[in-house]
Order: sequence, then C-alpha cells, then structure tokens
Amino acid sequence: MKNKKASMEEAVKEFVADGDTVYLGGFIQHEPYAAVHEIIRQKRRGLTVSKCAGMIALDKLIGAGCVDKIISTYIWNPLPKPAHALRRCIEKGIPHEIRMEEYSILSLSLSYFAGALDLPFIATKTLMGSDLMRHSSFFDENKFRIIESPFNGEKVCLLPPLKHDVGIIQVQRADREGNAQAWGLMGDSKYGINSCSKVIICAEEIVDTEVIKRDPSRTIIPGFKVHAVVEEPWGGHPSYVSGYYDIDWRYFSFYEKATETLDGFENYLDEWVYGVRDRSEYLEKIGKKNLDELKPKPWKSDPIDYGFCGKHQEEYVR
Amino acid sequence: MKYSTDYTPIEMMIVAGSRQIQNEQILMVGTQWPIITTLFAKKTHAPDVTICYEGGGVLESIPDRIPLFTGDPCIASHSVFLNDSLDTLGMILHRGYPDIAFLPAANVDRYGNVNTTCFGEYSKPKFRLGGSGGACDFGSLAKRVITMLEHERQRFPEKVDFITTPGHLSGSGSRQEAGLRAGTGPDAVITTLGIFKFDDQTKEMYVDAYYPETSIEEVKKGFQWDIKVSKNVTMAEPPTEEEIRTLREAIDPFGMYLRGNKAKSVSTY
Repeated sequence: MKNKKASMEEAVKEFVADGDTVYLGGFIQHEPYAAVHEIIRQKRRGLTVSKCAGMIALDKLIGAGCVDKIISTYIWNPLPKPAHALRRCIEKGIPHEIRMEEYSILSLSLSYFAGALDLPFIATKTLMGSDLMRHSSFFDENKFRIIESPFNGEKVCLLPPLKHDVGIIQVQRADREGNAQAWGLMGDSKYGINSCSKVIICAEEIVDTEVIKRDPSRTIIPGFKVHAVVEEPWGGHPSYVSGYYDIDWRYFSFYEKATETLDGFENYLDEWVYGVRDRSEYLEKIGKKNLDELKPKPWKSDPIDYGFCGKHQEEYVR
Repeated sequence: MKYSTDYTPIEMMIVAGSRQIQNEQILMVGTQWPIITTLFAKKTHAPDVTICYEGGGVLESIPDRIPLFTGDPCIASHSVFLNDSLDTLGMILHRGYPDIAFLPAANVDRYGNVNTTCFGEYSKPKFRLGGSGGACDFGSLAKRVITMLEHERQRFPEKVDFITTPGHLSGSGSRQEAGLRAGTGPDAVITTLGIFKFDDQTKEMYVDAYYPETSIEEVKKGFQWDIKVSKNVTMAEPPTEEEIRTLREAIDPFGMYLRGNKAKSVSTY
C-alpha cells in the first residue's frame, strides 16, 4: 500500500498547476475550503474551476484572481445573500473577466457521470428550452447537441463527458492510500471526483485501512485513483461535514458583510487567507469556543453486519 | 374553525401554497418558501407527503429545526434516503415520480418562465444572481410546477431577461417544440398577493384568486403586462387561527422564515 499522505501545501504544490481544470467536490457539505485557501496562497492562475453547487469557495477563488473559466450551476452565499466577488467579476470585470459555462444540477451531474465512465456522451430530457443552452461560452458548439432519438424519434439533449485534470474534496475519513469515505448529502461529489485524472483527498481523519474495510460501501473513490491524502480537520469550515461539524452561519454572514466592497474582500483575504500559514492558524482565529459550538450531538448509525465469509462449502472444495 | 384576522402576506402565501398539496403526494422541493410550505403541509393536512431535495435527500418526517436551505445539515439526521443528485433529480424527478415541484424565483414572466440568473443582458448583466441550481431541472421535468415568490411589480416582467427555468416558453406548444415532455411545466404561481394559473390553450398566466387583504385591481398592478383575470376569479380562503398558530409555533418558532431571522448579519467574527 502506498502512503500518499501529504500536507496541504505539498499536495497543492505538486498536483495543482496553473491552467489546470480543477474539480471542486462537495455539495454544500464536503467543500474543500482549506484547499481553496491554499490554492489562493500559492497564487495559482488561469484555472478552469468546475463546481456544481458553488457557495463561497468559488467566490473566493474568483475574487483572488485564480480563475479564468467556470463550469457551474449556482454560486451564491447560502444565507441567501449575493456572492459579491462573483458579482464584481461578472458585472465589472474585477479582478479580470472570466468566462462561464452554466448548467443545471442534473445536467452537470450527468456530464460528470459521463466523464467518470468515459462515456462518449449522455442523453437527457432536461435543459431544453432554457437559456442555459442558448448561451455557451468556451465550450462553443460542444456544450450539447439536440438530436432525435434513434429509438423513438423524440428530441433529446446530448451532453459530452466532463473530465478534469485534478479533483479535490473534503471527506469524513480516508486511509493513507486514499480510499475515501463520505456520507450524508452527496450531490454531485461521487461522479465528480471520479471524473478527475489526479485526486487530492482532504479528510477530517486518516484512519487505518482496517476501518475502511469494515464498511467498504461508504468508500466513494478507491485509493488507486488517488494521488494525495491530506489530514485536515475542519477543512470544510464554514460549511459542514456530517458527524463532525455543523454549518457556521455566523461566518457566512461575516464573509458576506466583509466582502461587500473590493477593499473589504482584499482585507478579508489578507487576514484570513494570506495572513495565516495553514489551516491550524485559521482555526486558531476561529477559536476553540466557536468550534466547540459547531460540534453536533452524536447521531450514530447502528452497526451493520457485512458477514465474514471465509470458508467454501465442502463439496466445492477439491 | 375560526379564520385568522392576524396574519402576514408571507403567511397567507405559505398557507395558499400548502393547500395545493394532497396527502401522500411526492414533492420535489426547492429552497426558501417551498421548504416551509411543504413542511407546513406535512404538519397539517398532508402528513404522509414525501419531500425530495436536489442534493439527494428524501424526507418522510419534519426535522427538529427548520432547514434554512435544501442543503441544511439537519437533513442528514432526518432523511430516509440520502445519496446523490442523480438519485433525486435523476431517478426520482427525471423518472417522473413527483406530483408537484415547488420552486422559488427572482422573476417570473407571462408564460411562467423563471429567471434566477441575471438582470439585464447576460453577457454584461446589471445584476448577477446565483444561477439555476436544480431549478431548471424542476421546470424542465416536473408534471406540475408551482413557483412561489414575494409579489413586487419588478419581479413580474412580461418577458424575463434570462430563462433559467423553462416555463411555458412562448406559449401554446412551445415546450414540446423545444423537446420537453408533454404534460410537464408550470401549473401555478403563488405570491403574497394571490394565486395565478395558466390558460389551458394559450398557456398565458391569469389571476385565479386574490387574497382577502387585496383586490383584483391591486393584484393586476403587480404585473408589468395587462394580466387577464379568470371569469371565475375568487377570493382565496384566509388562513385559520389554527393554521397560523401551527405555522408560528410548530414549524418556525424562531421566525427564521416568517420574521426573516436568517438574514441577520454580523460584521465581525
């Protein structure tokens, strides 16, 4: 078994390059905020970021100037309040103009699914009639095709597979090889992370492979597809990770106020991203009291039994 | 049963929305007003409805705290099914199970098309909004789409700047022409002023009912086009005292929706 453990700094340095197409996993929970801050600190540029339901992780990357292109369905502060960096960027071209390819959650999930399987395309009945199809930017005419189904003649929308150079997600736990386990609300995460050539797993906890093997149905990506494993507790803050911490509404609210102006946004980055060396310094700023408040009461599953089948029936044994 | 005389337009909208729901229906539920409306229906006359959210959750019971959006962590400890968007938007919605899909909206137009993407020209918008999320899938695929929003005139242009969620597009037959399935699309728009439905032939929106505190004239002023009024227009039934009490005390005791507590802002952390 390969030990792929790395620090966040090492993982981003080695596996995220300028100009990459980066998939950010997480659907509300599992968003890799710690990794996003490290990408900003390392000043990656020219990224194409693919994020199905984008809260403020994508907003930060846009405002920090890391992104040239976006593939997404939604970018907004869940309060609900505007994602101010996105607005400044689209409305005023600050810090620079970006191009956006927009989808619905189902159509983007299907495109990730097609990418994960390397299907030539996938067919659906959603999206047709919407202006999401009328406006295509960097995919040009390769965003979709409408054809008549060869089976029954009805109109169908074909979507090409979406694949990514590198994918990053914050999961509950993983082993050192990268067998990554996640549970709760999953959204697009399983198919998204499996559509990436390189994968960085950020985990609340690194556990022994024996723990993984006692509940393998919870693994969303097998370790052989994974390149780096980062142990990063609270790496999904201010969003949540089921079983570890609740959503921090106060922080979303603070971020919204703090980033309303361009100066405010830059001050925010200076204080909370550039001003700290890593996640542990960020967590010191959050403070133990606040973190403790976000810890949920346990809500444990009953243990399940996979059954240990170690012996053949006698008549089949030569 | 006594009708309430002390309720807000938001409460009237929620009660009116919930009355569209019958027990045991399968509901696809978007964020904001649809959340509280469907949970209220479950608490009152429709206890056995199934509530499905875009991120992959299926609820059969009411969470201990009201979800502030469809991705709220409280869903994880109250669902009977919790997996992928391909499950709820795919194997449930695309497969055609939901009886009703409830949507929030920024703008709605004459044919029930919804805009949650931008105001102004798409390439250079005056105001950029969040985007579709799962809304476009709801509008593309659901048998019966009900949109809920606060009624302000600027939210009801004759034609939306951007069709995030297809309604009846340009009217009669245009959904099928675009490739969408027959028997899908907008059924009603429910606001803080009234209930609006769509003509069977032309697919144009009309006034179906107005609320007790308003009048047909006031309702008509809420649209940027000359909206038609049904020959059979009625005044909507007001909420009962019991309904208002349930809504305030059992569903949203902290006023997260009813008093807008979720919008509370802090400037330091």
